[in-house]
Order: sequence, then structure tokens, then C-alpha cells
Amino acid sequence: MKQTEQFIVSEQTQRQRKAVAWLGRSFLFAVTSVAALAVLAIIFFIARDALPFFSGARGWDFFTSCEWYPTATPPKFGAGAIFVGSFIVTVTAVVLAVPPGILAAVCLSDLLPFNIRQIVKPVIEILAAIPSVVFGFFALVVLAPFMQDTCGASSGVNALNASVILAIMALPTIVSVSEDALQAAGRELREGSYALGATRAETIVKVVIPSAVSGIFSAVLLGIMRAMGETMVVWMASGNAAQIPSPIYNLLQPVRTLTATIAGDMGEADQMTGSAHYHVLFAMGLCLLIFSFLCNLAGEWIVTRQRKRLRGG
Amino acid sequence: MQLIMRKWLDRLFSFSAYSAIGLIIFVLVLVIGPIFVKGLGAYLFQGTIDNRRMMLNQFNRGDEGTLEVEWMEVKQERKSIYDMFSAFEKELDNMSATQRKTLKPVYKNIKEAVAVLIGPEPGAQLPALPRRIYGQTRWDRAQLKAKDVLFEETWDYSGAEGKKVLTPRAPLFKGTALEPLFPKIEKNLSQLMRPRLTFYPQFLTDKAIDAHFFGGIGAEVAGTIYLALGAMLIAVPLGVIAAIYFKEYAKEGPTLSFLRTCVNTLAGVPSVVFGLFGLAFFINTLHVSPGKSVLAGALTLALLVLPTVIRASEEAIAAVPHTYKEAALSLGAGKWRTILTVILPAALPGILTGIVISMGRAAGETAPIIFTAAVSVGPLVMPSEVFTTPTPALSWNLYNICTEHEAVEEIRHVQYGMAATLVLIVLTLNALAIVIRAKVSRKLKG
Repeated sequence: MKQTEQFIVSEQTQRQRKAVAWLGRSFLFAVTSVAALAVLAIIFFIARDALPFFSGARGWDFFTSCEWYPTATPPKFGAGAIFVGSFIVTVTAVVLAVPPGILAAVCLSDLLPFNIRQIVKPVIEILAAIPSVVFGFFALVVLAPFMQDTCGASSGVNALNASVILAIMALPTIVSVSEDALQAAGRELREGSYALGATRAETIVKVVIPSAVSGIFSAVLLGIMRAMGETMVVWMASGNAAQIPSPIYNLLQPVRTLTATIAGDMGEADQMTGSAHYHVLFAMGLCLLIFSFLCNLAGEWIVTRQRKRLRGG
Repeated sequence: MQLIMRKWLDRLFSFSAYSAIGLIIFVLVLVIGPIFVKGLGAYLFQGTIDNRRMMLNQFNRGDEGTLEVEWMEVKQERKSIYDMFSAFEKELDNMSATQRKTLKPVYKNIKEAVAVLIGPEPGAQLPALPRRIYGQTRWDRAQLKAKDVLFEETWDYSGAEGKKVLTPRAPLFKGTALEPLFPKIEKNLSQLMRPRLTFYPQFLTDKAIDAHFFGGIGAEVAGTIYLALGAMLIAVPLGVIAAIYFKEYAKEGPTLSFLRTCVNTLAGVPSVVFGLFGLAFFINTLHVSPGKSVLAGALTLALLVLPTVIRASEEAIAAVPHTYKEAALSLGAGKWRTILTVILPAALPGILTGIVISMGRAAGETAPIIFTAAVSVGPLVMPSEVFTTPTPALSWNLYNICTEHEAVEEIRHVQYGMAATLVLIVLTLNALAIVIRAKVSRKLKG
């Protein structure tokens, strides 16, 4: 009788325990919310400092005009050429990175034996670990003189240089995410295709890749996000000239990107009082933020659509 | 026929897939190779007598006695050059006007080039800048600078692009007192400079002298360590607690999916936007410090690595076998106790892996600290000053000394040294993560 009483907890202690558990739970929730809501704070504060710029009549010029003279009097904030520059560099980088990225992912998932794959994967991960400023240094000191000597470019720092380095930086992301997607395609699918007499190349191109296409799309999206948001490399390697190359596909001309403009001009802009120059840089930051947000949404949409399709099929 | 074709297409496909892997590895070697090889040159190089004198004067390193003996010899050797100069100056006075007109500017250039090569004449007033007090401290630089003495550099613009043309100066001075100078510098340069293999591990910890012309990268290394450690101190508690909540407490629902979307979005924010946010929020709104500071930079970096820490911790917690948890609960442990004494210890190595990788990322990031923490030139920051003072950091200063420095070409070895050190720090952290991961998987296998 006495022994069982030991295990019976009085109502008061039970209530106390519940309260403590509730407190702990709330504490965890609060800390998690702080971590998660940081992104809302980022959006809020970037927008707060960007909106004064758009409140004037300058908003329209910002997107359409190509006259970027932020320190002239009166200053001109036409960022059209800068948007085009970001676009050119990102698209070129992704075009350069996607074919070898997918091929390398195929090689990792279907061709290489397990032992070698265990070695090759960390080696490719090293590429992702190298800091961006080191890539920028490489672009400036090794690639730029090389380009000047061989490609006949008037300057080694140009859109192509930045794009090549961005492609290298986007490669590990594209490889690892596409490889996961290819792995997820499953063994039965491949065996079915082989049983029908398809070669390995046919199996991969006609069966495995189509079934993994949404994963590959999200890999490309991540690559785009990485290339668009990268700062140091484009700042050091793109030449920083706010102009649209003529003709537009001439990659050997210098361009200027959004990220490089933010990084380069914030030192000149009045950081404390908040001049128009300060606000225009936040406006650019807001554009980058919205872009990455849209990419994220697109990625999530692809994933959910794929999930639905799998459930339905 | 078609079969052969398909077979060849198959082979072509395999070949291109293999070569894609080859390409990536080749690129990796191409990028890291020169940085490590030339970066080693900052630590291990042929140092001249001027390097040893500089070390003795600035850092009080080396043996004064032996250096004095060697310096006397070199001084004697160098004195003959200055003797030639004074003899030539006397000759110059007696020359015809036209000859003087051609030789005098060239002589002036030679004199300047010699001063760069072996430093100012002993006994003359010392220049203010340390870089002018000493001759070339590195043998490779000395050989380059010797060429500036021997050759006149002109540019040929006859073609589409300018081409550098080097004309030897020796024939111009044939028959003058300056004639023996050229063979002396060409053949006896090592007598003048006394190169000797020098190992300089203190490059990692020494302060920089005269805008990185001499000395090491101590202040930058310290700044990088402060920033990376500070970021982890803030991000790890937040990240691990959030992971515990997500994995052990949260129930599926709109709140959870909203929080998850937030974390995913945070992971996609471009790094330069973190910098803007740090400036607008931590410095201009919260005023955590009067201006840029290590604290503001660490807070910004903490946000940047937070999603990585959360994901790694979640994965580690999810990997803990269910049986552990059930055993703890069946023994009568509460939920809290189960988490603290069973789940977290079991997940610790996995969490540690994520922390170490995030730390590497924080150490290498540049854009977030430009507006929040980094300065181009600054002294070593003491631990007590981290809340108020900005700091130099490896990543930012690498950018700075290879683009905005006044003599970019002169300090290439420092740039390579800095890049190699940064890569080495990051790769060491990553290797550490791989080791931890390997240990864990071995332990799980039993």
C-alpha cells in the first residue's frame, strides 16, 4: 500500500509540472519564432529604407533609365543597365553551369562505382566551401590577365569573366541537388528501361531525367539564386561599368550588377543620415530580396506539384 | 547499323559525363593550386639581407651579431655602386650638352631604380615610409627590380594594342664610370642581396607594417576568428533550440509551415542584403555600437548561418533512433529530461558537424561584414573591444589589398598568403566536419 502511494502524484504537483512543461514549450516556441521571424525583420527593414526612394517621382526612372550618376548634381538613379548587367551575368553563368552540372550529377548517380563516388562527392563539396572572395581574387589575378591575352578583350574584367566564376560557384549546388533528384528516381525505373533493351544513355536521357526533372529544375533555381545574389566575385571581376553592352551578347564588355553596386556604393553613400543614394541601394536590395523570394516560391511550387503528381500516379 | 550507332551514342554519353566530373575536379585544382603554391610563398621564401635587417629592426628577431658581420660585407659591396654614381656625376658635369641631355634623365631613373632595389644610400637621411628604408626583402622581387635598373621600359603603340619594349641601358653608358654597374647588377645580384631560404611562420600572427609591405596578417586572422566565433555563439543556441522545437514539439499546421517557409526564405537571402539589414537594423536602429563593430558583424553573420545550423541540427535530431527516445520515456523520464539527457547527446556529433561547416561559411563571407564590421586598415582588436570597434578580417582585407591598395603588384605574395590562409582555415573546418561525420557513422554501425 505504502509503495504505491509513492508513485501517486498529488494534484498540485501535477499542475505544477504541467505549468513547467507549458513554460518550456512556450520558451522554445518564442526562440524559434525569433529565428524564423528574422526574415520578416529583414524584409521590413530593407523595405523601410527603400521606400523613401520610391516615394518621389524617381521610381519609374529607376527601372527604365540607364543613367546611373548617383554622385552628380542633380543625381541620376537610372538602374536599367545595372538590372541588365545582373541578368546577363546570371543567365550566362547558369547556361555555362547547367550542362556540366547535370552530366556530373548523372555520372555520380549512375556511372561511378560506390567507392569512387564517396571520394568524388566531398571533393566537389570543397568547391562549394571556398569563400567567394577567394574566387574573386582568382578571377582578378589569374583569369583576367589570361582573358586579356587570349580572348582579345580590352579588359580582363568583364561579363564573361564574372560569369565563368559564378558558374564554377553554382556548379556544386547544381550537382548535389540534381544528384539527389536522380537518385530518388529509383532503381525499378532504370531496371524496367534496361529490360526493354535500352542502353544506359537512353535510360538516363529518356527515363531517369524526365522523372527527375522537377528536382533538376529546383537545382537550376538554386544555381540562379546563388549567381544572382553573389557579390564579391561580380564586384571584382565584372568591371563595374554601368552600361548595357553593345551588342547585348558581347560578353567581353564590362557590366555592373545590383550586388556589386550595393557593396561598392554603400561606402560613398551617407550611411547615417540616409541620402537618396543610401535609399536607392536599399531599393536594389529590396529587388534582390523579392527576386530570391520569388525563386523560393517557384521552388516550393515545383516540389508540391511533384508530390501531388507522385501521389496521383 | 542502328545498334552500332546506339552503342556509340551510349559511349559518347558516358564519356561526356565522366569528362564533366573531370572538368569540375580540374577547375578545383586550377583554382586552389596556384593559391596554395603561391600562398606558401608568403611563409617560405628566399629572403634577402634587407629582410633580415627589417625583421631585426621591426620585430627584434634574428641574431644581431651575425647580421652585423654580413651587413658590413654587403655594405662594402653596395658602396662600390654609390662610388660609381659619384664618379659618374663628376663625368656628367664635363660632358657635352647634348650627351648630358640624353644621359641625365636615364641616370636619374637608374638611381631611383637602384634605391628601390637596395634601399637608400647608407648615411643618407632615412625616408619616412618603411618600404623605402629597406631594399627589396624578397629575392624574387629583387630580381624583378634589378630588371628596372638594367632595362629602359618603353611602350610600342604601332600595333593595335600597346606592347612593352625593353631596351638594355648598358650600351648607352659605354665608356663612362657607370659601365661596370650593369654587369655587377646582372651577375652579382646575389652578392648584393644575399638571398637565403627563410621560413616565416609568424606571417600568421605578425602585425602588418606600412600597409602590408612588411609583416604579417595577425590582425586579419584575429578579426576573422572573432567574427566566426561570435556568429556561432549567437547562432548555435538559437538554431539548436529551433531545431528541437521543429522536431520534438511542433505539430503539423499552418504555424509550423509558416515558420518553415520563413527559415527557407532566410536561407535564400543574398549575402549582401544581410549586410544592408545589419546596417539598417543593428547599427542604425538598435545602435548596438556607435558604428561598425565586431558585435554588429557577428550578429549579421549569425543570421546568415542560422538556417544551416537549424537544418543540420534537425537532421541530427531526426537521425537519433526512435528506440532511444522510447527507452528513456519508458524509464519514466519526462520529455525535457529525454531531450536533454538522451536525444541531444546522441545528436551532438551531427550538430557539431553543422556548426563547424557554418563556422567555415561565416569565416569566409565578405559581403555581410562590409557595412557592419570590417575596416581596411586597423590594429589588432583586443577581446575587450569587440563590442565597439570594427576589425580587419581576412576576407574583406583580401578584397581590399588586391583592388584598392596603392601598390597592388608589390604585395602579391601577401595577397596570395592571405587567400591561402583563408582557404586553409575554411577547408580545415570542413575536413574536421568530415572526420566527425565519419566517426559518427562508424559509431552508429557499432
